Amino acid sequence: MIQLHRNSASQPDVRIKVIGLGGAGGNVLDRLLLDGLRDAELVAINTDAQALTASVAEQKVQLGRTTTRGLGAGGDPEIGYAAAEEGAEEIRRAVEGAQLIILCVGLGGGTGSGGARIVASLAREQKALVISFATLPFSFEGKRRRAQADEALAALQRYSDVVIHFENDRMGDSVAPLAGIHEAFVTADQNLSQSIRAIARVVRQRGLVHIGFDELATALRGAGESGAHCVFGYGEAEGDNRAHEALARALKNPLMNKGRMLESARNVLVNIAGGPSMTLNEVNILMEELNRHISDQTRVLFGTAVDPGLGQKISVTVVSALQGQAPPVVELKPRPIARVESSPVSVPPAPAISAPIAEPFVVPRTPEPEPEPVRLEPAPVILAPVVVAEAVPLFDEPEPAPEPTPEPARTPPPQPKPAKTKPAAAKQEQMQFEPVTRGRFEKSEPTIVDGQDLDVPTFLRRNVKVR
Amino acid sequence: MARDPIVVGLEIGTSKICAVVGETRGDGTIRILGVGQAPSRGVRKGEIVDFETAGKCIREALVDAEEKSDVMIGSVYLGVTGGHIVGFNNRGAVNIPEDRDEICEEDFEDVQASAREVSIPAQNMFVHSILKNYYVDGQDGVLNPIGMLGRKLEADFHIIHGVATRIKNSVRCVKEVGPDVLDVVFNPLATAQVLLDQNQKGLGALVVDFGGGTMDYLVYVDGAVRQSGSLAIGGDHITNDISLGLRIPMAKAERLKIDEGSVILGNSRPGEVIVLKDETGFAGKEVEREMLNTIIHCRVREAFELLKKRLEEEGHLPFLGAGLMLTGGCSLLKGINHLAEEIFGMPAHLTHAQTVSGLTSAFENPQFSTAIGLIKYADAMQPERPTGLFGRLRKKLSIFGMW
Repeated sequence: MIQLHRNSASQPDVRIKVIGLGGAGGNVLDRLLLDGLRDAELVAINTDAQALTASVAEQKVQLGRTTTRGLGAGGDPEIGYAAAEEGAEEIRRAVEGAQLIILCVGLGGGTGSGGARIVASLAREQKALVISFATLPFSFEGKRRRAQADEALAALQRYSDVVIHFENDRMGDSVAPLAGIHEAFVTADQNLSQSIRAIARVVRQRGLVHIGFDELATALRGAGESGAHCVFGYGEAEGDNRAHEALARALKNPLMNKGRMLESARNVLVNIAGGPSMTLNEVNILMEELNRHISDQTRVLFGTAVDPGLGQKISVTVVSALQGQAPPVVELKPRPIARVESSPVSVPPAPAISAPIAEPFVVPRTPEPEPEPVRLEPAPVILAPVVVAEAVPLFDEPEPAPEPTPEPARTPPPQPKPAKTKPAAAKQEQMQFEPVTRGRFEKSEPTIVDGQDLDVPTFLRRNVKVR
Repeated sequence: MARDPIVVGLEIGTSKICAVVGETRGDGTIRILGVGQAPSRGVRKGEIVDFETAGKCIREALVDAEEKSDVMIGSVYLGVTGGHIVGFNNRGAVNIPEDRDEICEEDFEDVQASAREVSIPAQNMFVHSILKNYYVDGQDGVLNPIGMLGRKLEADFHIIHGVATRIKNSVRCVKEVGPDVLDVVFNPLATAQVLLDQNQKGLGALVVDFGGGTMDYLVYVDGAVRQSGSLAIGGDHITNDISLGLRIPMAKAERLKIDEGSVILGNSRPGEVIVLKDETGFAGKEVEREMLNTIIHCRVREAFELLKKRLEEEGHLPFLGAGLMLTGGCSLLKGINHLAEEIFGMPAHLTHAQTVSGLTSAFENPQFSTAIGLIKYADAMQPERPTGLFGRLRKKLSIFGMW
């Protein structure tokens, strides 16, 4: 009998590095390791030497040896930025050689907000695909912190290929109200870690119907542009009805908005992985159910893989990028590589690239009247448990917001520069004066056909002018 | 006399719950003894959402029916619907064992079991499997294969299934009130039995029951059920749209829909208004007629277009010689048959139950089509009536138009 060995070593390997930046990022790395992330290198980057020592990551980079001298950035992005600038060379070495960089960062503090854009741009310089998982602070942490986070997020969006952002405020949605705070944070961490592992698995796994790095890039193409955002869902389930439940969980992800977000997506990547007991029928059921949520024009990048490690479980990963308002560029657009001027980490602008915005990293900030309280405790204490939850700001979506939301107050981040006001303008047009309502069907199960919520009055969905 | 000639059909609708007591006669006709109904609460889109309230309403309807018909209701045939119920076609096949050539009765059971061996979601259960046609050794169009010689028996079935827990919830809700549930019937299947005669089934027809919570449909082609399902859009949606669009309470929107609503556009004078009066006759708000009609038109058009899209997937639309039978509460909307004709491109008839006698006022309302259909279905399904298995099979087939 001839035995064939699938030589896993011979396949062109995609090197994945997961970078945890700042305190929150570090915590996610710890969780990832606990959950057993395979095949990825973990890199912890922080200004706080103490937090770094406690981290379980195999590779550690301390920033700002002279700027902060081993302390945290004290919640000040300027300090975080300066520290990251100082450690640019070390960051560069740390990200070297990876094709996919997953950057986990909690925005709003010092190290995370200040350093994220530098790390992302350096990673991109290495021609790596950069996927950033960012968490935004709780609203009780103050408006100032929120503003810092929004600004950092806008910058991060320019320098990474994809930013998947989570709002801490929505964390409450996914945890039972009576759950202990520790449990809540663990759930939140787990959610983020699950998302990261799902991405890594999609890229690494040899599937029966393979989906890889290239498909992932296709699905996410355009997500780095202004106004665009990423839709992401991951679900795992076991038992009799696992296919249905796994998909339901994936769609339950707050980023998904129960699958309604998928309607306008152009490319949707779906990866179904399961133990050896997964049947074709289950895949079939799952895809049929998913197809109800996406339009006919959508290209579905489908992959499936058998992973003995999953045991009796089935896992579903759904990834897509929604374009912003501007008509998306279909042809391969040159990636806007970050150009860093007046900074030691600057690179010569790549030739064939029409560099979009050449601007220095340092945002000339108008001096604030209120003195910023300097926090002496290390950033991680504040940011640490940051994770999970809904992210996509509702005014950002191309379809009418499905639920009335008290959110319109959450205006786009303060945009000091003209280059940044552009996405803000696009968002402004989407604002709705009256929230779309489902009336008496508010609490009943939605009827969704072809991605449309039929409980919303037809004349509203079709914009028929009444009155 | 083993058979109880009294049958009761119970339909738990979104707008009303209705129990029809009928007496079945030997010749297949039905006499209506009484109709009980109660406004429905706790039901959304054809499914029970509030167990307790729905239970009370069911009790009211049953008591009403008992009073009117002077019959103790001990068991009912229950109609179910909901967006989760879907139908599809499948073929089952069995090989006749080596030791005999003749096809016998037990093979029928086997072929039905084999047709059911298909993938439906784990949470779903079968509601019906309706026979369409037999094949013996690949030979088409066999009506009765018993006694035929063959090696392989195949049969086409139309299988209807839905989420088990939701269907069982309805059954449980009724059982808690009192009566036993003899059988669960998918609403449009029951409806079609009173709306269509054999001739229409043979010609091909589309039955659309546009009710309060759902739009149920069923397609007959060549005398057999080919497609069925339910869209969770109904009169409730229209009322909701009116309420949101004109900013009036649901109760007034419902009244306005029934009294003034029409799906025809451009039929009102420019600027024509309807004055909403309250109970005391106080003239309150004015609404523009065209606006009201636009809202209704948009919703109904969309519902029909969605249905058309579903039907087009199977491709039976061009072969429906008898046209479209429209029934259910929403078929009372003015002009809805014209809109249906325009969208489906075939004659649309507004119909209600016809092949019954008794309380005529009861069945002349399209709102009762389903409940009366349940009796007709029950009549055909009464197990003790025909003698022997073959007779029963024959009966089963005949109701769906084979003979």
